This record gives sequence, C-alpha cells and structure tokens, in this order.
Amino acid sequence: MRTLAALGLAATLTLAACGGNDAAAPQKKSELSLYNDKGAWSKYFDGMGALSKQQISLSMKPVGYTDSAQYQAFIKASFRTDVKPDLFTWQTGGMLEEIVKQKQVADTTAVWQEAIKAGDLPQDLAPYYTVGGKQYCVPLNVAYWGMFYNMPVFEKHGVKPPTTWEELIKAADTLKKAGVTPFYHTSVLFSFVWFEQLMAGMDPDLYDRLSTGKAKYTDPGVVAVMDKWKELIDAGYFVNAGDKTDPADLLKTGKTAMVSFGTFFNTSMTTRSMAPGKDYGFFVIPNVNTSLPKTSVIFESGPLCALDKAADPAASMKYLKWWTSAGAQEKWASSRGDVSANPKVTVKDEALNSITKDAGSGKYRLVNRYFEATPPPILSAALDGFGKFVSDTSTTKEVLETIQKAADEYWSTHQ
Amino acid sequence: MRTAPILGRFRGGYVAPAVLLVAGLLYAPFLWTAYLSLTAYDGLADPEFVGLRNFTRLFDDPALLTSTRNTLIWVVGTMVLPVGLGLLVAVLSYDIKGGAWFRVPFMLPYALSGAGLGMVWSPILSHDGIANLLLGTDTAYMQEAPHNTIAMLLVWTWQQLGVNTLLFVVGLQSIPKAPIEAARLDGASGWSLFRHVIWPLMRPLTAVVVGLALVAGLKTFDIVWAMTQGGPGRNSETLAVMMYRETFVATKYGYGSAVAVLLTVVAGLASWLYLRRQVNG
Repeated sequence: MRTLAALGLAATLTLAACGGNDAAAPQKKSELSLYNDKGAWSKYFDGMGALSKQQISLSMKPVGYTDSAQYQAFIKASFRTDVKPDLFTWQTGGMLEEIVKQKQVADTTAVWQEAIKAGDLPQDLAPYYTVGGKQYCVPLNVAYWGMFYNMPVFEKHGVKPPTTWEELIKAADTLKKAGVTPFYHTSVLFSFVWFEQLMAGMDPDLYDRLSTGKAKYTDPGVVAVMDKWKELIDAGYFVNAGDKTDPADLLKTGKTAMVSFGTFFNTSMTTRSMAPGKDYGFFVIPNVNTSLPKTSVIFESGPLCALDKAADPAASMKYLKWWTSAGAQEKWASSRGDVSANPKVTVKDEALNSITKDAGSGKYRLVNRYFEATPPPILSAALDGFGKFVSDTSTTKEVLETIQKAADEYWSTHQ
Repeated sequence: MRTAPILGRFRGGYVAPAVLLVAGLLYAPFLWTAYLSLTAYDGLADPEFVGLRNFTRLFDDPALLTSTRNTLIWVVGTMVLPVGLGLLVAVLSYDIKGGAWFRVPFMLPYALSGAGLGMVWSPILSHDGIANLLLGTDTAYMQEAPHNTIAMLLVWTWQQLGVNTLLFVVGLQSIPKAPIEAARLDGASGWSLFRHVIWPLMRPLTAVVVGLALVAGLKTFDIVWAMTQGGPGRNSETLAVMMYRETFVATKYGYGSAVAVLLTVVAGLASWLYLRRQVNG
C-alpha cells in the first residue's frame, strides 16, 4: 500500500513538473527568437538582428531549420507547448489559413495599413496575407520565378536569352547538341516547378481553377500539360531528376545552362560569389501558348509571423513593423542580393529590378506559386506524383489519378 | 522457509523510478499513438474521433503495398547479407594470424550513423556520381525500384557487417573447445567441422543476431530518409518512412499513427513468432 502511495506521489510530482504555465504574464523582451526553415540564410538573419538592435533596441536571434517537414512539425507542436518562437517564417495560402483558423497567429492589420499608407508595402500584396478580411504576418520575402542562366555558357554557344517559347526550345537544342544539359529539374520537393510553369504558360485560368477545386487533374488541359512536359524530358533537355547536386552548383559549373527558380535563388548565387550580368543572367520564361494576352510569371511571398500568444506580443509586433520599413529592407535585400517587398528598395541586379518594376506595373499575369496555391494534402500527393513522373514519364495517367484522388478527398469537405 | 526479498521491504520504491520512466516515456506515448490512429488530426485542431477509418483507408492505399514490399526486401536482406557475410568474415578470420587486423576495416563503418551513411553514399550512387564514373556505366541506382532499395541494402550491409562479425567472433571464442577437438580427432575439418559442430554450437548466438536483424529490417528508416526520402514517387518507401511521411510531411497525424500501430503490431508479432520458435527449438 505504502509503495502504491509512493508511486502515486511520484507520478503527481512528475505531472506537476511537466505541466504548463498558461497563466504566465507577458514578459518584456530585448531579444527575440526567429524560427525559420531557411537554415542557409542564418548569416543574413544575424545581420538583421544586429541592425534591429541598433535601430529599435530589439535584437533578434535566428533558429534555422533545413528540413521543412521537421520545421513545420516543430512550429505546430509549439502552439501546444511553452517553447514558443517569438517570430517564425511560414507559407501563405492554405498553410497560413490553417494556423489562422486555430487562432495562433497575431493579427497584423494595423501594421499593413500603416505600411501601405507610408508606401512600405504595396496594396496588391495584401490579398496573399488576408484571411477573413484581416491581415496576418508580414512579407519575409517576395519572389518572381524565371530562368537563371549561365552567361559564359550562353555566349560560348551563341545563345541569347529567348523571348518566345520557340526560341527557348531552339536554345535548348543548341545547348544539348553542344553537350550542355539545358534545364534543371528534381524529383524531391521542387518537383512541381515545371508542371506549374507549363500550366501557367499554357492555360493559367485552368491553373487557377485547379487550385480552387473547380477543375480536375484528369482534365484534358492538365493531361496536355503533362504531355508537353513529357516531350521536353524525353527530348533529353533535363538533368537526371535524382541528382543531388545543388542546382546553384550545376549552374555555376555550367553543367546545366538554365535553372528555373524564384528570385531568391539570387542568394545562392551571392553565396557562390557569382556576379549578376557577368556570371549569370535572368529572363522571364515565355508562354508556350502564344495566344495568351500576358506572359505568366509565377509569384510567391513568404510570411514572417508572430504568435497570437507570444511571450512579449508588443515586442513581436514592433519587430514586424520595423521589418517592413525601408531601413530594414535595404539591408535584407542588399545582403542577399534579392528583391524586396518594399517598393522603395531597389537592388543592384538590373534584371531583378526590372522584373519587380514590370510586375508592379501589370505587364505580367502573376500566378500564385503551386506550393501556396495548392491545399497541403493535395500538394503532398502532387509532389510525390511529380517526383514519380520525372523519373518515369510513362506514369502520367497513374500520377494524375492519384493526385485527383487526394483532391477529391480534400474538396469533398472544403468547398 | 521463506527467504527475504533481495532488496528488502522497499523493493517497490527501488523499481519505481524505472517503472515511471518506462510508463511515461514508452507506454504513454504508445497508448497516445494508438488513440491518435483512431482520429483525424492535423496537429493543430483537436483530434476528431473517426473509428477505424484510418485503417480501412490504409489497407486501400497503394503506398502500403510498395512500402510493405520494400520493408520485406529490407527484412530478408538484413537477415541474409549483413548476418551471413558477418558470419563468413568471422569464421574466415577467427583462427588466422592477425585476424583482428583483418576485421578492423569491416568495423570502421559501424561508427557512422544512418544519416551519415546516406551523406557518404549519396554522391557515390547518384546518377552523376563516382560509381557510374568508375564503372563506366550510366545507371540511375537511386531512382528505379527495387534497385534503389537493393543499393541501400548493400550500403547498409557495408555498415553492419563489422558488428555482426564481432558478435560472431565473440560467439566463436565462447564455444567449448572439447567438442571441436573431439570432432577433429574423428577426422572432421573445414566445411564438415563447421556444418556439424561449430554451427550447432553457435546457434543460440545466431538466433540473437538474426532476431536483431529482423527488428532492424522492419524499422528501417534513417538510411532511406537520408538517401532517397522514400522517393522518387514513394517507390523506395519503407513502413517506417511511410509513417514519418504521413505524420510529419503530409501532417496527417491520425493516418501516420495508424501506420505506426500497424508497424508495431507487425514487428511485435514477427519478433514473438521468431523468438518463440528459437526458444522452443
């Protein structure tokens, strides 16, 4: 009996020790933690931490993850524990909606209103951050997707940046004949890139309908996109999809002439000491379908968020507000050599400045990146499916049917 | 006559910390996982009870078939290759001069973790890797199934060989010398000596080594995750990788838990059947 009582007491003590302290009063913080899945960007985050300390007396320490699944699992778990990030990076689209619905994210409507008024954030970015009429998080970055190319390789083989799809294919043929692999693609994570690009360049309306469940992956338009993709792969234009070499290294060494990526890829160029306009260039990928009124450009914006129940909500909000300012964004954009969400900030790279300006003036049809546009359960099935397809192009039907099965399941409860 | 318990009257108190730790860190999470397997849970909203729906879906999921096939390859492979080759190296190096030095190269890879193993071998086996360069081939080892699983199994063998060799050497050293000498006097040598005398004496140890390999094969995860992440297109997924992927990548915690429960039942059942057979045998 005594033993049982001792066991009971020990269990109670253990449980008490593990219990939460929900009623903890807000603390006053002078340093914030910024959890992110961009582990390779640590030195840039460190730079921002030092700058914020100087400018608003609030320093920031990054905690970087490199595995996004592990990162997301941690963030979700943190909502239920006491180990909470002060600030964290996330994704717009379905993933942002998911955590907003759980009332985990701090409302940033006031920050947005003020920043739009001051010209620090463009109004047309707000919809990506709006859930139920309110804004959440602020832009960590914005990115336009296009083609990065190795300039010396292009010059050596007399290839010029193409302005039509036909020219792009001609360039690919020339490079292939010269023994250079024209394009990069992969079977892991970013397996959706060429699907999204071809969808946007062939039928962007269908792409939009697909991402809202109004079209099916088995529709003839989607099958046509897969057929086009298969045609390109079978023509031998791509690197082996299973290669693990970093695309930035493939581009730098000239093994691959072109890599389709978001403008954030510039950071990878910067870290490899490659100079824009000399070592590499960037062009907008032309539409396959020449009858479309505007060239489609894939667009994405990654959010920087604060928790609704942060340790020091005022400090977190102060930081987000500062993050949108031109003073902060100058540093954030210039250190990484990337474009900024703040229209007042320009970067050294002319090609990137011009796509930002053109996109802002309505020259392109901006298409939301597949990652954000597709609800997470469908995305998961699609990434696996495209990974399978790029390794075996005879699997089109099977892949599309599998993705559609996930889509049917999702939209049956989410329309 | 009743003898006093070894630890005296407070023996319950002595074992309590261990009981609490095991209960808290092993059984409680297991029960929680079993409960989650009966729910739909995305890690955010509260789990919603859905009965056996996750299991009916699981048995209808083509990915289960692929991961079961790959897990079976792993189980059979780990029971045959690292164990069989380990025994071979142990027997060949056991009574030769400098045998210990001969075994050292086989031991070194054991110091690597599964993830480290992936880091070392991925560049070698990738399409533009060293293997193709040296062999003058153009094979995508890590892409087609079941080649990718077999390639990873060979890498796994490279790592596990040493420890199995070591276990068998210890086994060889501990078997009684008298029956071997007697058999030698009767004219047994080489294969017949091994087959009829050494092998039967080694059987208890072999049962343990094979049992460990069985469980290791069933729960194969880290090397696959590090080398292919179960891809491309899930074709190298094992049950453990499927469990991780459904839980943390697809954030279907309920469904992932159902895979975990299935894997636990399979591993438990296989180990029980195997050990029962060995013990009774």
